[in-house]
Parts: sequence; C-alpha cells; structure tokens
Amino acid sequence: MTDTLLVTSVEEGIGKTAITLALARAAQEAGKEVGYMKPKGTRLQSAVGKTRDEDPMLARELLDFDAEMHEMEPIVYSPTFIKEAVRGRENPDDLRDRVIENFEDLSADTDLMVVEGSDRLETGGIVDLTDGDIAEALDARVLLVCGYATPGDADQVLAAADQLGDRLAGVLFNGVTESAMDELADDVMPFLESRDVPVFGALPRVQDLAGITVGDLARSLGADVLTNEASTDTHVERFTVGAMGGNKALDQFRRTRDAVMVSGGDRSEVQTAALEASGIKALLLTGGFRPASAVLGRAEKENVPILLVQSDTRTTIDRVEDVLHSGRTRDAETVTRMQELLDDGVDVHSLLELSE
Amino acid sequence: MGRLSTLFGPERVAVIGASESEGSVGRAITENLLASYEGEVLAVNPNADEVLGLPCHDDITDVDSPSSIDVAVVVVPPHIAVDAIRQSGEVGIENVVVITAGFGETGSDGAARERELREVAEEYDLNLVGPNSLGVMSTPKGLNATFGNEMATEGDISFMSQSGAFVTAVLDWAAERDVGFKDIVSLGNKAILDEGDFVAEWGEDPDTDVILGYLEDIDDGEQFIRTAREVTQDTPIVLVKSGRTDAGASAAASHTGAMAGSERAYEAGLEQAGTLRVESVQELFDYAQILSGQPLPDGEEVAIVTNAGGPGVMTTDAVGDSDLSLAEFTDETFEELRETMPEAANIYNPVDIIGDAPAERFESALSTVLADENVSMAVVVACPTAVLSFEELAEVVVEAQQESGLPVATTLMGGKSVGEGQAILTEAGIPQYFDPARAVNGLDALSEYQSIQAREFEAPETFDVDRDRAREILQSVSHRDTNRLGVEAMDLLEAYGIPTPKGDVVDSPGDAEAVAEEIGEEVVMKIVSPDILHKSDIGGVEVGVPPEEVRDTYEDLVVRARNYQADANIIGVQVQEMADLDAGTETILGMNRDPQFGPLLLFGLGGIFVEVLEDTTVRVAPVSEPEASAMLDDIESAPLLKGARGRDPVDRAALVETVQRLSQLVTDFPAIVELDINPLVATPDGVQAVDLRLTLDQEEL
Repeated sequence: MTDTLLVTSVEEGIGKTAITLALARAAQEAGKEVGYMKPKGTRLQSAVGKTRDEDPMLARELLDFDAEMHEMEPIVYSPTFIKEAVRGRENPDDLRDRVIENFEDLSADTDLMVVEGSDRLETGGIVDLTDGDIAEALDARVLLVCGYATPGDADQVLAAADQLGDRLAGVLFNGVTESAMDELADDVMPFLESRDVPVFGALPRVQDLAGITVGDLARSLGADVLTNEASTDTHVERFTVGAMGGNKALDQFRRTRDAVMVSGGDRSEVQTAALEASGIKALLLTGGFRPASAVLGRAEKENVPILLVQSDTRTTIDRVEDVLHSGRTRDAETVTRMQELLDDGVDVHSLLELSE
Repeated sequence: MGRLSTLFGPERVAVIGASESEGSVGRAITENLLASYEGEVLAVNPNADEVLGLPCHDDITDVDSPSSIDVAVVVVPPHIAVDAIRQSGEVGIENVVVITAGFGETGSDGAARERELREVAEEYDLNLVGPNSLGVMSTPKGLNATFGNEMATEGDISFMSQSGAFVTAVLDWAAERDVGFKDIVSLGNKAILDEGDFVAEWGEDPDTDVILGYLEDIDDGEQFIRTAREVTQDTPIVLVKSGRTDAGASAAASHTGAMAGSERAYEAGLEQAGTLRVESVQELFDYAQILSGQPLPDGEEVAIVTNAGGPGVMTTDAVGDSDLSLAEFTDETFEELRETMPEAANIYNPVDIIGDAPAERFESALSTVLADENVSMAVVVACPTAVLSFEELAEVVVEAQQESGLPVATTLMGGKSVGEGQAILTEAGIPQYFDPARAVNGLDALSEYQSIQAREFEAPETFDVDRDRAREILQSVSHRDTNRLGVEAMDLLEAYGIPTPKGDVVDSPGDAEAVAEEIGEEVVMKIVSPDILHKSDIGGVEVGVPPEEVRDTYEDLVVRARNYQADANIIGVQVQEMADLDAGTETILGMNRDPQFGPLLLFGLGGIFVEVLEDTTVRVAPVSEPEASAMLDDIESAPLLKGARGRDPVDRAALVETVQRLSQLVTDFPAIVELDINPLVATPDGVQAVDLRLTLDQEEL
C-alpha cells in the first residue's frame, strides 16, 4: 500500500520544494521506493522551449526518476490555462481524472508518493483542484509548511488547518529567525497543539538556504563578473542602493549584512565605501559603466566580486528584488542542506510514517 | 639613523631592467643614475651585453657580491617583476624600489600580482617602495633613481608624494625657485612602505628639517598619528591631503581604489598628529620655506613695518584673519620710534615710515620693533620708490632678522624691481612674496608649529571596566539578522562605568508594570526594535507615564511600531526612570569608525544644536583627559555647559570622564563601527546615558 504525503504551504517562497525533495530523499535512503508528482506547475519557466515548472525537473535529476515530465506535472497552471478555465473551457472532472490517472501510474510499485503542492493553498480553486482537493482525490496526508514572524501568524495556520481538516498530518515551520524562534517554540507551538493542530517542528533560518549565491545572482541577471579571483560562492540575501556620498553611504552599508550593493558604475566613492563595509558581499554596477581599474584591484584584494549589468539602476533594482524573492537557489546542495536541518529539527521517520 | 637610511644613501645601486632603448623607463633611470650618483651603478638585463657603457649582467645573482647591493631598482615588465624582487630578496638586498606599473591600480590581474609582491616582500623583510612609483631621490649622494627629467638641488626638505607626476612637476617648479631637497620618494601603490614609514625615517634624519607630503589617502591613520606625533616634536610635517570635496573624494577613489575617508576624520586626525595641513601646493612650499629658513617665534604678536599705507592695511587684515595678533609696543619703543621717525610717520603698529623712506629708515624701525619684548615676529612691507633700493632693503632686513633671532617675512611689492633683493633674502632663508597675505600665512604656520612643539602628550587613562560583560552583550547580536543594537544593550554602558537610568527591557505589559512599580514614580517607555531608528518620530517614546498607565502604554507603543513597520523585529519595551531634563543639558556623545583613522569620537549639545547648527567636535580615539576636556570647550555652545543664563553648571568632570570611558570602549572593541548616546544628559550632579544606538561589524566580533 502506497503512503501519500502532500506538501503544501500558505505562501510561496517558503522552502516547499527543498522540504519535499529532502523528505523524498530521506525515504529513499531508508530503502523505500519513492515517487514524486507536482500536479499543478506554477513556477513556470520557458527557457527549455516548452513552458514547464522547473521543480519536477530538479526532482527527476535529484531522485533519479525516469518518469515523463508531463506525467509528473499534468496541469501547467499557466496564465492561458487560467483564462481558459474561467471561460469554462477546461472541464474540472476531466482534469481531476487526469491527475488521478497520472498519479496511479507514477505510484505503482512505490512505498511513498511525495506530492508537491502549488504556490499557495487556495491555488487551483477555479478548477476545483486546490491542494486540499488534490489530497482528497489522492487520499493523501498533508504536511503544511509555514513561515513564522509574529504570533499573529497563528491565525493563518488555524485557517489552513481548518480547511485541510483531518487530512492535515501536521505543521512544519521553516525559515524561523533566531529572534523569533523562542517565542514560536515556547508560546505558539504549544498553543497550536492545544487547538489540536499537530506540529512537527520548526527549522531555523540558515544563511545558505535563505540567500542566493553571488554567482547565481549574476547568472539570473545576465551580469558580467568583472573580478577574477573574488569568490562568487558567498550568499546574499538583500540589496542596498548606493545613491549618496561616500561617508553617508558607508554608514548605510555598515548597517546591513549579507547584501549586494547596487550603484552606478561611475560612482567610485560609493564603490570604495561598499568595499569597506563587511556586510556588503558583492557590488552590482549598472549602466554598463566599468569601474575604475584601481577599484577593481581593490575589490580583488578585499575578495568582494563586482558584477556589471547594462541596464539602469532602477530596472536593475526591480530585477534584483525579484531574484532575491523567488530565486532561492534550488539545487542538489540546497536539498542536502535541508535534509540536515530536518534531521536536526524534526523526527523525519515519524513524519514519513516509516515503520522499520 | 633610521631603517631606511641605506635606501636614501646607498653605495651600490642595481637597475634590474636597465636598457638602452630610446624612450624606455629603464634607460631614463640608468641615465639619471649615471648623471649624478656618486656610488656604483650596476645594470641587469639578460638581453644586453652593455647598457650606456655599463657591463650588463644576466640577472642579479651574476653581479659580484650581490648582497652588498644596497638598492635594487626594478623596471622590468610586470609579469617578471615579482620574480626580480624575489631574486633580490634571495641574494640579500634589503631595499627595492619598484618602478614597474601594472599592479593593483590596473584591476584584477594586477591585484593578484600585487598580493604576490607583498608576500615576497614580507618573506624577505624588504623595504619596498612602490610599485607604480616614479622612484627615489636623495641629494647628498646625488642619487636620482627616478625616471623624472630633473634632479633636485640640495636642501633640507624631504618630500613624499602619492602621485609620481606631481613629483616631476614640483621638481621642475622648484628648480626655478631655489627650493632644495634632501630626499624625495614617490610612494606609488604603497604595498609595503607608506607615509608613516617615511615620516618615521625623516624624523630621525638630522639633515631633514621639514617633511612635506602630498597624500590621497592614509593607509593606517592610527599608526600615522602615533608616529607623526613624535616626529613633529622635532621636525614639522606639512601635508596636502587631496580629495577634500565629494567630487575630489570620488576622483581619489578612482585613482587609488581606496575610500577617501571622511574629511572630518582627516582634519581631526592630522591635527592630533601635529601635522600642518595645507590646501594648496603654493601653501605647501610657502610653509616649507619658512619652516626651514626661519626660527620659531615664542608668541603670536606681529609687528608690521611698511613704507606704504594701503599695503600696510592689507597686511593688518591678513593678521586679523590668521591666528596671529598685532603686537602692542612698549612705551620705550614708541619713544624710540618717535625720535627716529619723521613727524608724518605712524609709529603705532602697523608702523608706516612713509613713502620717502630709504633702506636706513627701514633698518632703524625694524631693529626698534624687533627689540620690543612684545614683538614675536615681523613683516616688512615695501612698495618700490625712487629713494628705496630693494637690494639694500633686503640686506638690512637680513641683518635685522639675524641680529634679533626672530622670524621675519617680507613683502617687497614689485616685479622686476625686486631683482637682486630676492636672491639675498632667499639665501638668508627669509620668504619674500608679492602678496602680504602669504607672508602673514607663513608666519602663522611658524606660530602654529611652535604650539605643536609645545604640546605635551598625555597617555589616555585606562579605567577599570567589565570587558567580558561588554563582550557578551556585543556577541548577543551575532545570531540576530541585524547589525544594530539599541537600548537593549544599555548594560554595555554600565559595564564601562557610564551611568544609565534605572530600568529594564521587557516583553509583556505585566513585566512593564512590575518594573515601573519598582521604580515607583513616573517612567519613560520606549519601543525597542533594531528596525526602528527614529523611535520618537513614530510615537515610540512616551515620557512621564504613571505606573497605572504602563500597561496601556505598552500596548500603544507596540501597535504604533507595528503600524509603522508590520514586520519590524520588536524586542519589547524599555521602561526607564525619568532623567531630570529640567536641571540637565542634553548632549550627544558618539563614535563613527573611519576607514583610515579608526574611532572618531563626536561630542555636541543635543537637540537643535546637533541637528540644525551641527555644532559638534570630533577627535580620534583614544583620547586623554586633556583632549576629552578640550572637546567640551571646542563646541560653540560650550557656555551652556558652564551654566549660561542663571543655570547651574553641569558636572564637567563626570562629562569628561564619560568621554574617556566611551573612548576606551570603542578602542577595546573594533567591532563597534558606530555608536550614539543621544541624549547623554548632563546635570550639576553627574551624567546619565538615556538612549543608545550602535552598529557592529559582525566579522570583527
């Protein structure tokens, strides 16, 4: 009998993919046959010719599946699809059948099926296929992944728990900052338990999962890396804009950490100020202006990479914002790191109901 | 003799990369050395048998007893320069001047090369000038290891420059004006030897009377202050530091790749170091000339002797603009002047001996005023007339100056007519200008240097503090996702003996009430969040809260903070005893770490004084008791601390001690990059730090 676990979340960018794949791998390592499916593809990329969610591709690569992409992702939840569904040109029953059919194919001979939900819990309602509906259709237990910042977040968790009803196996908090962790563990988790919402645990926010490497940032932006030796493996989590004079800029740069500094390529004094502040891990220069060569030399000495893009500062900031928000690094390393965190923070075996 | 004495006084110099090819730097250096250097010149170049008549060696190891070479000048292309330096180190050469460019100033590859160069230099403990240097010069031995086109004439000024081009310009200019030099160095990229090393060297050099520098940045400001403070006790240092303006700072950053640092930090740091800072090249050499040519005054009173009313007035204005003052003569002087000068003359300072004065009348007037005990120095201002020979005047001025032993500057206001007079004055070391303001400025520099020499340096006091506790508090930030700490770190101040009001940071209304009840009177409540910088602007501060309203106020503060920034990290609320603001004066005490000079302390009065009037003063920490005390007097609003308008004066000793204690805190913990105690309330009975904000450098912790 196949056990099915659906991983969903109340908001996007919370680490769902990494958790799903880490759990799948943990089960594989425990000697189980594991299958994967993401019924609704939402993280769409069309770089490979056909518009697809990139998460199933990573799953295939990482978990060594040979299943077809269209099987793992039967519904491409694209803007066109949504429009057509609203116009009544998609039949919810047919879609549901398609999901179940693919699921049955994929789950044959597996001990565990991990099913990744879409970006948010309510996504899919227009074709009666929210993550809750899918759990019902596939007879899956549901793992709810949540972030945590303030006690008020409990409202959202309770609402989701209500919606999922008995299907909810438990809640897993992810990306919890050190300053919020005590409050969560001491006050909020016991509170949820007292309201009959089981909680598996809370995973701390760790830098290598929260940020994006400078190298990945450069790739996402199509930026040239001007430095040769300065390491691009450092993680950045936020950006700061260098728009003022050197000394004012230095004050601002010192107050931030793990940041990329965005500024015009012609602002030498801002660039050198950024090189003085240890919280600035990379410089992103705009407008296609190469920095002064002495600044470049200095950056090598300080081991801070300099990236250059052709677009103006305003456009670049928007792009960086996007990349930092959604572009968390998704790769094998991320999943391995998540697996370590799960091992440290959660009873993975009981979460997966692995009976030895 | 200093560590670098052989660099400037070598017996044997090898040019690695010597060349005959027309227009090459290798040829220019070899030619320059052959032209005037007394010692032995060795040529190294594997591609030549002979260079300009010198037998050429394949590499430095081929030279007879290579370890006795005192200086290797490296001119080879960048990709083999580091090897040449390594070889020089291996054979035991101690001084290397790297002319070759193409290091950190050229970008990535160059930066890697410079790192390698630094490693080699450190391995062999080399005194390395450059790279990207014009070279070094020293006149006593005729050493010209530069590729400039001019050799300096002999003198007692030593000069360092962060711009090689500026050295060539200065030499060209100096050649016309009889300005002589002892040593000259073009600092280049300052990979190893920097301004501090040369200041230390010339401080020990008996033949250097004045040190001049053109700098764009200072590598290690704190070290520079320590070195320069000692050197300036005997040898004046005059510096041009460029990059003063924002545009200038940006230009300097492009040139050197280093952050220019704040102008205020330079001003304070260079002042504390005892250097004379000038803004123009003209001032640089005006100061150099008068400092090397004239004795120091023992006061600041100037006597002016002139044959021309208008220029006399201009000179008087210049004195008014400077830190000097116009001397008031004694009765004996008036009497003597009355006897010796014509009726129409003005015998009061400025002394106008009128248009028909010949050189003899100048001589008489000048000797009289210089003999006056109230006179510390004199300016002679003369316009050309038919009865006056500038040549004769120059002679009498030289004589009077030498007889009196007081500094004198002249303003012979003529062009051609100055003629021989100029040479006579220059020969005697008396500066001569057309513009009276320059003469007065020069004298002002002498007086300033005199007061620098009179300074007595006192070591900063070390207080008994709880350093471990402070470290613990600072480390608590390391697992937060911010670099900032606020009032939750008030104990940091307590650990360093800076008084804070009673109170605590709590995270529930009940706890807040408990703290307020313990205090037992009205309290101040403040939101505590590293994300909210200006608490009072968002209603995050409530003053005079009675204990029964503490619960509701707690709620208000948290809601206001959330409304302002929904995702702010709110640590809690601080409940604090009320400081006595009526009897007290709000001051601000802070620190901002300058990239070059380190911790820069700031003091001022709070409120509009700091925000609108920007009435603050800064010093590079650590500061001694007299320095801390001087900060209190520096601000324009200082009288308010002394109890202006019927108020009681504040507890000055407590305030001074707080400045010293903060100085110790920021010196002990380089991880603190900025810190503000605002306000620090000073009352007649002591001080209290009411609010605190600081930023840490995580990597320094």
